Parts: sequence; C-alpha cells; structure tokens
Amino acid sequence: MKRFTRLILPHVVLVVFSLAILMPLLWILRVSFTDKLTAYKIPPELGTLGLMNYYDIFARYPFVTWFTNSLFIALAATAVSLPLATALAYAFARFDTGGIALRLGVLASQMLPPIILVLPLFGMFLIAGLMQSRMALVISHLTIALPFLSWMLISFFEGDVARLEEAARVDGATRWQAFRYIAVPVAGPGILAAGLLGFILSWNEFLFALVLSGPNTQTLPVGLAGLETHAGVEIAPLAAATVVSLLPVFVLLPLLRKHLIKGLSLGALK
Amino acid sequence: MLRRCWLGAAFAVAFSAETYAETVNILMETVPDTEYVKTLLPEFKQATGIDVNLEVVNYAEMHTKLVPQLVAPKGSYSAIVVDFYWVGEFTKAGWLQPLDERIKADNIDTSVYVPKLMELVGTVDGVTYMLPFYNYAMGLLYRKDLLADEKNQADFKAKYGIDLGPPKTWDEYLKQVEFFTRDDMHGVVNQGLRPDPIAMEWSNYLFANGGDYHDGNWTPTLNTEAGVKAVEQYATNVNKYGPVGSASFSFDEAFNVMAQGKAYSYITYNFFRAAVDDPAKSAVVGKVEIMPVPGPTPEQGGSLNGAWGWAIPKSSPNPDAAWTFLKWVESKDIAKKRALQGGSPTRTDVFDDPDVNAKYPHAQALKQMLLTSHNFPVFTYTPQLVEVLGRELSLAVAGEKKPADALMTIDAEMLELAKKDGKIK
Repeated sequence: MKRFTRLILPHVVLVVFSLAILMPLLWILRVSFTDKLTAYKIPPELGTLGLMNYYDIFARYPFVTWFTNSLFIALAATAVSLPLATALAYAFARFDTGGIALRLGVLASQMLPPIILVLPLFGMFLIAGLMQSRMALVISHLTIALPFLSWMLISFFEGDVARLEEAARVDGATRWQAFRYIAVPVAGPGILAAGLLGFILSWNEFLFALVLSGPNTQTLPVGLAGLETHAGVEIAPLAAATVVSLLPVFVLLPLLRKHLIKGLSLGALK
Repeated sequence: MLRRCWLGAAFAVAFSAETYAETVNILMETVPDTEYVKTLLPEFKQATGIDVNLEVVNYAEMHTKLVPQLVAPKGSYSAIVVDFYWVGEFTKAGWLQPLDERIKADNIDTSVYVPKLMELVGTVDGVTYMLPFYNYAMGLLYRKDLLADEKNQADFKAKYGIDLGPPKTWDEYLKQVEFFTRDDMHGVVNQGLRPDPIAMEWSNYLFANGGDYHDGNWTPTLNTEAGVKAVEQYATNVNKYGPVGSASFSFDEAFNVMAQGKAYSYITYNFFRAAVDDPAKSAVVGKVEIMPVPGPTPEQGGSLNGAWGWAIPKSSPNPDAAWTFLKWVESKDIAKKRALQGGSPTRTDVFDDPDVNAKYPHAQALKQMLLTSHNFPVFTYTPQLVEVLGRELSLAVAGEKKPADALMTIDAEMLELAKKDGKIK
C-alpha cells in the first residue's frame, strides 16, 4: 500500500495529466498521416497511413513561402529586438532612465488591443510604400517584442549584478566593458530565454501578419488559417502543416535548453 | 567588403516592397472556385500579358484585412470578392466602383446571370457594383439509397400513406426526417452554432414555411405563424431527430456526420454535393443527392441564396487591368471551365451547357435551386442581423425562450437596424 501511494499513484496521476497534454498533439500527428474521412471517425480508426498530406502542403499550397517568411521575420524581429531590449532593460535597471513613467510608457502599447495598433501602422506603411513587405512585418513585430523583452530583462540586471559591475569598475573597467563583459554574460540565460520568447511571439503572431502581409509575404499562422475554408476545415493537410511548423521549436529547444542550463550553472553568483 | 555587399543586396531583396505594375492583385477567400480560377490564370497571362496575384485568406479574417485597404486612398488590391454579407456596408460606404459604364462600353450581357444572384451580389439600388462570381445557395442533401430501399418504401407508405421519394413539399420532408430517425441513424443533422450557421440554416426553414424576413416596406415579418412554425420545427429537428451536440455544430461538423453515413439529410451549401462523392472525405460516395429545399407547395422552393461577387474597389491601384481580368474570368468560356472543374456557376448559360450537364447531372437541380431561392436581407447591417438571429434562435432551440418571444425580439431589433439604415423612415 505504501509502495502504491509513494510510487505508483504519482505516476498514474502524471501519466493522466501528460496524456491530456500529449493527446491533442498525438491526434494531430496521426491525422497528418491519414485523410479527413478517417480523422473524424468515431470510434477512432487508424486507417491507411501515408505521406500524402505532407506532399499536399508542398504541392498544393505555398507552404514553403509561408514557412520561410515566418522564419525570416521571426529571426529578424528577434535579432533586432534582443539587443535593443537588452540595452533598454539595462538603462532601466541601472540608471532608472525616464523613471516609472517611461517604463509604463513602454508597456502601454501592449495594453491596447492589437487591432487599434495595426491601423496606424497600416497607414504609416502605406505612406512609406512598405505595405505587404517583410520589412513592415518585422517592424510591426518589434512593437510587440520590444516592450515584453525589455520588461522581462529588467530583473536580470537588477540586484547583485550591479555589485559585480562596481567591482569591475573599481578594477578599471569602463562602463561599456562592465556591461559587455559582466552584466551581459551574467544575464545571458535570461537574454537567451527572452530571445526564445521573442522568436515565439513573432512566429505565432497573427493579426499584424494578416493585415500587413501580401500574397508573397504571408506567414504560417495566416496561411494555415486559410486551410479553414468555406467548404470545411482541410484538417488532414492542416495537421501535416502544423507538424512541420512545430519543427523549429523542436530544433531550437534542446539547443537552448543546453545553453540555458549551462548559463545558469556557470553563473557568477553560484 | 564583398561579403558586406552581398549581405546588403540580400537584405535589400528580402525587405523590398512588392511592385504592382501590370499585376492584378486580388484578395479572395478559400472557396473551391478560388482554386479553379488559379488553374486557369496562365490562360489570362497568355491572352493579356497581365500577371495575377491571388491572395487567399480565411473568411473569418477577410473583413478585418479588407477594410483598411478599402478606406485607403490607394490600396493594394486591384479587385476583390465581396460576400453578400458586406454588400450593403461596402456600397453605402462608397468603397466600390460602379461598373455600369464599363459594362456598357464592353457590351457585357448581365442578363445571363441568375436574376436572384444579380439582386444579391450584382446591383444595389439600380447601380451595378459587382459581377456574381460564385454561388453558395443552400440545398437539401439526402440519402437517395435509403429512399430507393423497398422496405423503407413499404414502411413509409404504411405509416404516412404517401410514397417515399425526394420530398415534394416541406411537410413531406419533415415526415421523412421523423421516419429515418432510428437507433443507428439520424433523420437530419443541423448546423446549430451561432451566429452564422444557425441563422443561415434556419432561413431555409422560414422560407420553406412560406415566411419571409420583411415585407415590401422593410417592416419585419418574422413573428408570424410561418416564423413560429419554422423555429419549432428547427428546435425539434435539433433536439429530437439530430445527433447530440448539433446545437453547436458548424457546417464542417454537420457535414462530417452526413459524410460518415450517420444522417439521412442535411440542409447545406450546394458545393458540399461534390464533397460527398470524394472518397477521402465521405463514406457515402454515390449515395447522396441534392435538391432545392422543398417549399410549402411543390411549385415553391425554400432554399436560401448566397453568393460572392467580383468588385473593383475605389482604392484599386489599376482598375482598368482589374476590369480586364473580371471580363475574362466571367466570360462564358472561363465560367464554363470553372464549372467543369466542379465550380458553382452563376450564369444560366453555364448551367444549360451540354458539357456541364453531361459531367454533372445535378446541374439542373442546382439551377432550379437558384431560380426558386430566396435572398437574405441585404443592407448595411446584415452582419448585425445575423448576430441577433443567432442569439435569439439559439435561446429558442435551448428552450430558454419561447419561439414567439425570440421572433418578437428579432423583429424589434431588425426594425431598429432598418431604421438606422434609412430603409424605414
């Protein structure tokens, strides 16, 4: 009985909760290898498995365009927002630049419904001749990523890091050197996590991409939404496209996890 | 240095905005006909030298994407497709170009279109703003194999005293719904999700009972005997003869019940007729047929009409090239090619074409459906009316409101919307 409560029961509970999370993903994986008829059968059947949906998304839909657009825009938005957010967070943490008013001002844009933000952006890009370009999408995604990432990073530059920097300054380091060689490496895991968050925010963003993109600049969320057609949801190709669109996360996560753990365990304050 | 130059060039290409010279950009929804148009675009390029960029988005998001483009002095889209939902709003806002002068100059004969479709997505107050592109009128999908079964025929005759066959009247259809509801089969599957699916489907029930949304002066006429019967019948079908959960089904879930062979009938968009014969989507291939929703008498139909129309927005950067495309895509030859691929025609001459009839024997049933169909009220507040309908009908189906009370509320709110739009002084 003791063995049951200590060993088996927790595992049963964990398995049940894991299944609740994993079942939808497994269902998508299964549907990606079958057809719509089999997908909706009750009771469920395995049906004939094949790669036809994976072929379909590349042959019938501009999946490669959606994927490369998403990848490019997410990488560009992250690459631009991360250094800016790091510098802004450092300024907030170390010098209290602009006081609480500026901090709230940075976050204020995120308190508005996105549809309010997208209309002025639309007008600006129209005047600048940037409508339906990837540049417009990268800039619009910065309006989401920058406030989030800078707020997220503030805490990584507060506290004991300041004392380490002071020690470096006493040893003759310039302000830049203290920032570059002390603050940034210590906050490294946080910056990496913020980068991952920025990438995911941009990768999944829908509304800005919907309004500001064109036929050649559509991103994955907009393209995949198009598979919900007037004649019903194209569930089988949609499942295959979803599986492929998850690939970057599967590729990035093990790599980032390794660096995150490494960064944390090698932290100067260990 | 060279590497930097390459990097700069790569960024310039990657970030460059698109150009629109002699390219027709069109925003479309993911309807089956969009795919058929796509396959024919090389012919247009060959004939005119103009490129066509079709941007395809999900219906639910299309309005959000369209409106900023339409209010801009110069937008990105040369031409657009307009759902009948938006006709009132877009024309009243002055976002669409009148086409009459172009039609006259090029001798385009708009009388070839089904008149009801021209009323729905063609003209507004005598001005032509659109050319009907694609119809999605609703019809009755029914299991013809069950009707042909001798035992079913004998049992039905014994129970109701009439022959079993494609229903000639709405009452006959309701008897069939009751008859085919058995342990392993539902007489009907409904799309009861609010607001659009239930509002659109219920409209067929209203017309089938001889009702209508308003009289000639736009005074709402829903709270009538026909309206009350339509709500009661709809609620009975959902709660007694349909599968559990159909009160929250959209058309996709409802179609899948039909496609899995679990229902005798389903009132739905006519393009699903082709989908039930697709073995990848259906377990009842060859067993289902479509017909107009039967009306109160054999001469009257009860089908709800629905359609998209081609239009040129006032913000179009190249309206002449857009018109060249519209003329081409709506020509008899191209409209026929679309129909032969499985499209939903809007021209009567395409419905009557021998090749189309040879390939699709149900083409005449579809034509009849359109000719006897009824239009949903088209005014600036069509989407708002759909919201009101969805809310009140759902309450009635759930038994939280009496049918007459729900209809009274709809009438009152519709009256306000009609007044607001200037339809009623």
